[in-house]
Amino acid sequence: MNLKTKLILMLGLIFNLSLFAQDGYQLSGTVTDATNMPVPGVNVHVDKTQKGTATDFDGVYQLDVTSGDILHFSYLGYVTQTITVSNQKELNVVLVEDASELDEVVVIGYGTQKKSDITGAVSSVKAAELTAYPTSNAEQALQGRAAGVVVQSNNGGEPGAPIAIKIRGNTSISASSNPLIVVDGFVGATMPQAGDIQSMEVLKDASATAIYGSRGSNGVVLVTTKKGRAGKLSIEINTSYSLQNVTDHLDLLNADQFADYQTIINPDYVQGPADTDWQDLLYQTGSISNTQASFSGGSDDINFYASTNYFKQDGVVINSDFETLTFLSNVDAQVTDKLKLGMNMFGSRSNKEGVPTQSTGDTANGGGDDVVSLMFRFMPDLPVQNADGTNSTNTIGDNIDNPYAVATEAVNETTTDRFRANLYADWDIVEGLNFRSTFGFSTLNQTVGTFRPSTLIITDGGLGGKATIDQLTTTNVLSENYITYNTELWKGNLTLLGGYSYQKETTERFSAGATGFISNSFSFHNLGGSEVSLIPTSSLVVQEIQSQFGRLNYDWDDKYLFTATVRRDGASNFAKNEKYAIFPSGAVGWKLSNENFLKDNQSISNLKLRASYGVTGNQAIDAYESFAKLSTLFTVIDDVVVGAVVPDQAANDNLKWESSYQTNLGLDLGMFHNRVSLSFDYYNIDTKDLLLADESQPEYLGFLTLASIRNVGEINNKGYEISLNTINITNENFTWSTNFNWSTNKNTVVSLINGIDVFQNAAPGYFSVARTHVLREGEAVGVFWGYDYQGVYQGGALPEGTAVFKGAQAGDPLFSDLADENGVTDGVITTNDQQIIGDPNPNWNFGFTNTFTYKNFDLNIFFQGTYGGEVFNLTDVQLFNGDSNATTEVLDAWTPDNTDTDIPRVVGSRGREISSRFVEDGSYVRLKNLAVGYTFPSDLVEKMGIDNLRLTVSGQNLLTFTKYSGLDPEVSYFGSGGESGGDSNTMQGFDFGNYPTIRSVNLSLNLRF
Amino acid sequence: MKTYKYLFLLIGISIMGCSDLEEEPVGLLAPESFFATLEDVQTAVNGSYGHMSHRYFMSREMSMPLMLRSDMVELNEFVTNAERVQFDQIEVLADNASIAQYWPKVYQIIGAANQAIAGAEIVGGDPSEVNPIVAQARFARAFAYFHLVRQFGDIPYLDAPVTDIQAAATISKTPAADVYANIIADLEFCQEWLPETQSAASIPAKAAAESYLSLVYLTLGDYQNAYNYSKMVIDNEGAYGLGLEPDFQNLFNDNEEASPEPIFEIDFSSVTDGDQGRNYQGPYTGIRANEKYDDGGGWSVEVPSMAVYDTWNDQDYRKSVSFDPTGVFGGEVHSYEDFTDFYTAGVNRPHIAKFSRYGGLQGGNNRGNEQNYIMMRYAEVLLIAAESLNELSPGSTEAEGYVNRVRARARNGAAGSTPGVFPPNVSGLTQVQFREVVLDDRRIELAFEFKRWYDIARRKIGPEVFSAAGLEGYRAFDPNKDYLFPLPVNELVRNPNLLPQNPGY
Repeated sequence: MNLKTKLILMLGLIFNLSLFAQDGYQLSGTVTDATNMPVPGVNVHVDKTQKGTATDFDGVYQLDVTSGDILHFSYLGYVTQTITVSNQKELNVVLVEDASELDEVVVIGYGTQKKSDITGAVSSVKAAELTAYPTSNAEQALQGRAAGVVVQSNNGGEPGAPIAIKIRGNTSISASSNPLIVVDGFVGATMPQAGDIQSMEVLKDASATAIYGSRGSNGVVLVTTKKGRAGKLSIEINTSYSLQNVTDHLDLLNADQFADYQTIINPDYVQGPADTDWQDLLYQTGSISNTQASFSGGSDDINFYASTNYFKQDGVVINSDFETLTFLSNVDAQVTDKLKLGMNMFGSRSNKEGVPTQSTGDTANGGGDDVVSLMFRFMPDLPVQNADGTNSTNTIGDNIDNPYAVATEAVNETTTDRFRANLYADWDIVEGLNFRSTFGFSTLNQTVGTFRPSTLIITDGGLGGKATIDQLTTTNVLSENYITYNTELWKGNLTLLGGYSYQKETTERFSAGATGFISNSFSFHNLGGSEVSLIPTSSLVVQEIQSQFGRLNYDWDDKYLFTATVRRDGASNFAKNEKYAIFPSGAVGWKLSNENFLKDNQSISNLKLRASYGVTGNQAIDAYESFAKLSTLFTVIDDVVVGAVVPDQAANDNLKWESSYQTNLGLDLGMFHNRVSLSFDYYNIDTKDLLLADESQPEYLGFLTLASIRNVGEINNKGYEISLNTINITNENFTWSTNFNWSTNKNTVVSLINGIDVFQNAAPGYFSVARTHVLREGEAVGVFWGYDYQGVYQGGALPEGTAVFKGAQAGDPLFSDLADENGVTDGVITTNDQQIIGDPNPNWNFGFTNTFTYKNFDLNIFFQGTYGGEVFNLTDVQLFNGDSNATTEVLDAWTPDNTDTDIPRVVGSRGREISSRFVEDGSYVRLKNLAVGYTFPSDLVEKMGIDNLRLTVSGQNLLTFTKYSGLDPEVSYFGSGGESGGDSNTMQGFDFGNYPTIRSVNLSLNLRF
Repeated sequence: MKTYKYLFLLIGISIMGCSDLEEEPVGLLAPESFFATLEDVQTAVNGSYGHMSHRYFMSREMSMPLMLRSDMVELNEFVTNAERVQFDQIEVLADNASIAQYWPKVYQIIGAANQAIAGAEIVGGDPSEVNPIVAQARFARAFAYFHLVRQFGDIPYLDAPVTDIQAAATISKTPAADVYANIIADLEFCQEWLPETQSAASIPAKAAAESYLSLVYLTLGDYQNAYNYSKMVIDNEGAYGLGLEPDFQNLFNDNEEASPEPIFEIDFSSVTDGDQGRNYQGPYTGIRANEKYDDGGGWSVEVPSMAVYDTWNDQDYRKSVSFDPTGVFGGEVHSYEDFTDFYTAGVNRPHIAKFSRYGGLQGGNNRGNEQNYIMMRYAEVLLIAAESLNELSPGSTEAEGYVNRVRARARNGAAGSTPGVFPPNVSGLTQVQFREVVLDDRRIELAFEFKRWYDIARRKIGPEVFSAAGLEGYRAFDPNKDYLFPLPVNELVRNPNLLPQNPGY
């Protein structure tokens, strides 16, 4: 599928209408797409008959017709052509990709439906959009492509970083707002490579997702992989290579500037011997090479698709790379007229060699385990190695290694193997009645190995090196069986669906480690070559979900649409009495354009109103959370390790499903033969019984797990989504089409247990900050918390309503002074003076794509952006702290001679306070992709035996417009202060130590023969 | 028929799974099923000891406030961490990060102890076998609450495992006096049931109960009981296997287990599990970039003021044990006056040596130090006896004898050396003089052993020791506020019934 054609309709040849009928004769012709490429497999059907055929691989068809027959040429993803035969012997047809997608058949849960009949909110993303530029996974390719879908890397441009998808905001505040991914019917699958995907449907409202019940509340992404077609063998090779750079550098002090700066803090400061630009040393030009080869084909009864893909990325930070090799195959066999069997298989191995980033500050004192923040912090006047050959370490502030040493000597290697097989049988029992059964299995094997050599003195390495291996095996077995019944009923069509599903997931973990290695050469591959073994750990977790589900679809006279869905889910994760829940939904649609008063309207080609309401759930918590639990604890008595247990969490017999109650109102409008098509949706989601690691639980309870999972309250998300597709210009040589999507989301914390604020801390442990985010009734989710910065204190009497820290001097920061519980303001900062200082939630997001084609050239320009979210620049908190290098902004710090500044005086002992001084506007507009493609003329390449040859040059993230002063507004430092960890929906918007965002230039070649 | 063949296949693959969804966790420990034998109870007691060795307790987060808040240890001026500066400068805020970290840890010690006590009730059995183990748990609980009540005053008090979170989450504070009464009740139980000796000082024996009873009563100003319990230890020193370690240096050594002096310790070995069991006192007190101990040097964070060193008599053997006035840099020995030549942000003052000089397998800036932390040792018991007896009957030779015994050990110096003349024996002092001498002997003898701040708070001498004439110069000490720490601010949000905050915060 190439990029260039969208939304155009052309008939290749138009023959005169004949006014008189003739006897039957054979009609033939060729079906091509807008680029003049033959389209195989097009369904050619004579209206109101059983007669029909399909085009062969060269797009050619023959069919016996009678003049006056009405022919339908239909193919998934293209506008269906309807042409009346009028005596011509040859009828060539050009199919155009479907602009309105109205007649497109889209995949919905447990079935398919015509797009025009859908009552819910569903966005479709096409293969061409997913492969517009190289990505290591298809999630990344979704960014900006669908209204209401926000995609963000968990770690900037890190090779192999996980990608988070959010549909309609943070519907949950628990660990997971990620949608359910369903690949070819396998629930909870891993996303395949973008090149293997035929289409992706994003189900957004409850009407669409309720069929997935307890797992539908974060939305559902349905992925359909490519299938083979009857016809000659097709071989396709797609290869691309790109070069990458960081989008920006921080403007840091050089060695001389740094020495001057430190001398202000410590007059005895002695400048170091070097002038090292750590960013230059650590950043490199990265590269991605990606090659996909596929072959597909089939006979009348059996068709197949098989593909392999090799992706390799060398990151823009030295020693960080990722490679993945995947295999995918689909085989479908029409065993009898009524029975179809098939199997999808997917396998991959990926290997990630990372550098430590996104410091937790917990594993090492002072957070020296993160090369990105080290790059900024570390003293520029030190060399990589001291004169004696040892690694240099900071001589101010915390004792940390230099980033080059960490990047080159610390080992973090993740090897992941995935395998998935899904067998299906599809039986048309009688006309209209179908039974489908799928039986699938998936497994994930992951080994994470780390090694810290003894040469890194602070990263636990002083004990003679430390190595750990963590092994994870997850297996999933899924069985689903459902019956679909389709019949005409009165003036409409009725479709009934009923089914049963069972899924079991088994997770085994094992970890071991050792310290005190006799050699630094073992990495983590010889734990025995050590003096001391760490305590090995292992665990087994089993989770089950079983469900019954049903759906009714009825359309009356192609005007009124009704959908009702129900799913009953049971999940083992929940407490004894709360295991089962029922998730119903209902929706109605009204196709106004089919009403008589609009039917003949020349400008309105499609108008539909939709409304839905439903309940979906979220069971995304770990197993065994409802049990009272003891944990083992490492304990030494008399220098001997002894068995010890401690209370870990209390029982929670009431732990239950988080449920989302969602209303969706939608409008679909197509005008001028759908050259303009618009979708508008409004949604309102009340999520109740929120599952959250509840930090409102007092810590004096004495449990090891300070915040156990509880149902803590309710949040509301509401917003609008607009999707506008237009074909602006279309003529023989030139087309221009535009795709614009825009969405808003506003979330509010509605209630919390006893109305008590939940404070959270997203700063790394060594910041020693107690709270950075708060959940508070009436506020947005995860707003920033801290002091309100009021500029620099100029000495003397405090300005009205301000306060300073005890003992402050002129030049120190000034903050708003809030009254304490007794109404007293005293000019001295206490914790009573902290308040809400920012909101990371964006007001709106958009994606804007323009596609131009001129003859064989095409141009794709894709902008993506977000507005209104704030970013907390935690990097600056560290860099203004006095114990590290600083940005050149510090040169403008307050001095008695430079009082007109917003930057406080230089001190060596300012606490890393969280204040509004570091809150910035995170809005941005980004040229996400700019691609120019050229398709070689088919008559030229056909001589070489090639069906299609195409070259594309593209650039990603070439331009970014933002006011954000830090490296990049797409921040992703997920809080992991202290002992907590992992990503969290409630602690967003912090910029610190994440892998830099990348800019790349890419050349790709597409070859099919 | 052909279709039916496939139909069977279909049915075959579709029959899959029908579950009751009951979770059957394998490898998960549930309180109801875990406790079967007394060994299991001991395992639960061990959990409370395990929590004591976490970084968030004495190793780092709680010890640092105790050290910095005293007049014996200052913060390196180039260390920026707000939570440390706040304790050093006596300007603590209620969101202090150290408090936020150690508060839950101390309660986890209590939670583990409560779980063990409840487990013992499940197991049951002969009190003579059960109670000595329960007594260990009650000791751990009393030990933890004793720290809390001295730091925070009125606190939430729980003496059973939490099963109803909602109820436990809304309790009010228990007045300090009641907390003390509970601590005493626990320790009295321990005194009754703990054996006279244990295999290691990290497991409390009868002497630990009696020593802590004496210290609790001393803190409360009940000198009679303080004296009685310390006297019990002294009278039974033979049976308890106690005595003063002949060479003071041997107390600060990874071989101190062999010493008769420690009464209760927190155990550290070179094996750790992350911050569980990791020893941070060495790094925090050691000399930055010092090559002397081949451990990468310390971090020069907690360094006594020059006055602490200068006012300490040079002839006192304990001074040479307690301090490191020299370091090795580039293979050469250098005096403390040159420390910053080798590390700019270091401190040109003698550093604490009690935690870093002999630590067994070190490394990682001394984090692998195996040296145990002594929480209570026999010398302190002697000094408690002396102090309390002086309050009851001034001028007794018995009280002088206790002080002089400690002083004599100091004079004896290193094993095999000729005894010195300092510190001389005391005699003929007035009650006031003797009181001051004992308090100062505690400051010297127990220097850097986490005792001094509690002595300052107990004797209410803040304005005096933090005056311009004090060891650290003037600090703005507010007697109406600064004897107590603030309750962690987030905890007051989570349970508003804990309000009010301590005065002034």
